[in-house]
Amino acid sequence: MLNEVLLTFAQWLGAQQWSTGLHESFYMYNWIETTHVLTLTVFLGMLFVIDLRMLGVALTDVPASKIAERLDLPMMIGFTVMIITGLLLFYAIPVRTTQSVWFRLKVILLIAAGINAWIFRNRMKAAKPTWDLDPVPPKNVRIGAGLSLTLWIAIIFAGRAIAYDWFDCGKDQSAFLNWAAGCVADVAAH
Amino acid sequence: MRIKLLLSGVVAAGLGGLMAGSAPSVAHHAFAAEFDGNRPVNLTGPVTRIEWINPHAWIHIDVKNTDGTTTGWMVEGGTPNTLLRRGITKDSLTIGTVIVVRGYQSKDGLCKPKCRANGRDVTFPDGRKLFMGSSGTGAPKDGSDPEDASKQ
Repeated sequence: MLNEVLLTFAQWLGAQQWSTGLHESFYMYNWIETTHVLTLTVFLGMLFVIDLRMLGVALTDVPASKIAERLDLPMMIGFTVMIITGLLLFYAIPVRTTQSVWFRLKVILLIAAGINAWIFRNRMKAAKPTWDLDPVPPKNVRIGAGLSLTLWIAIIFAGRAIAYDWFDCGKDQSAFLNWAAGCVADVAAH
Repeated sequence: MRIKLLLSGVVAAGLGGLMAGSAPSVAHHAFAAEFDGNRPVNLTGPVTRIEWINPHAWIHIDVKNTDGTTTGWMVEGGTPNTLLRRGITKDSLTIGTVIVVRGYQSKDGLCKPKCRANGRDVTFPDGRKLFMGSSGTGAPKDGSDPEDASKQ
């Protein structure tokens, strides 16, 4: 039922003039995809430095809050452009992407990374008076930073794999994979 | 100051990307992930449908078998932009045009809904032969990509 709704939505989205326009464009799609990749390196570059400081392995002689505050702006700029271009990439190819097991995995991981970041941020805010100068932050902070690194690396791999036809609906594959990809009917692979 | 640093970082990343991608067209994905270099195909038939889409265009053709039956094939090309630069456009390649496509079949060999192949070059009825793939994908160097020769 959910998969039918998602597919109907994707088909409605994909039938829009702007979606088709992007899908068939000579330049825009390429520019959007390139921008997506470049800005995700800006976002993750900043995030990984913060995470490594919170793990207690990098820049341990700089207060944790200082690193987080200094890198916050470029990180959020990278994040914003990355999200916008990511949504546009989905908008260009909604039907295939909706039924991609990799895209579904990526969305679940993104939600997990979001929840983790929210908890992490709250712990960071509470940090200033206590462990800000410690080279190695407390365990719950290190777990949060480790989760953040792991989740984002997994998101990159899942995102990259969307490009490939592995486990596309319509292949000879297990019922589990068809279920995970949310294959509704024999819609063309593209 | 902080913004300046950020901007120079973005510019540096862009330059790095340009240098890494000095091949004229960087492929969306590697050839070997989906296609088999040991399964060359040579397909002749009329174009039935063309999907002018990113990141890869697909040309559908009906291939007549020796026993009289017809097999539907869909052949992957480069991006619409790559094809445009090679001279393959909506105007030059229309439905019904009988073309010859050389390429390689998909690794899974699946013919559902259609047999799939990665296209290397396409020959038009007037004899023009144009490269329809992407360079630098790791596809076999079979002479179809003019970039292969210029790089050696």
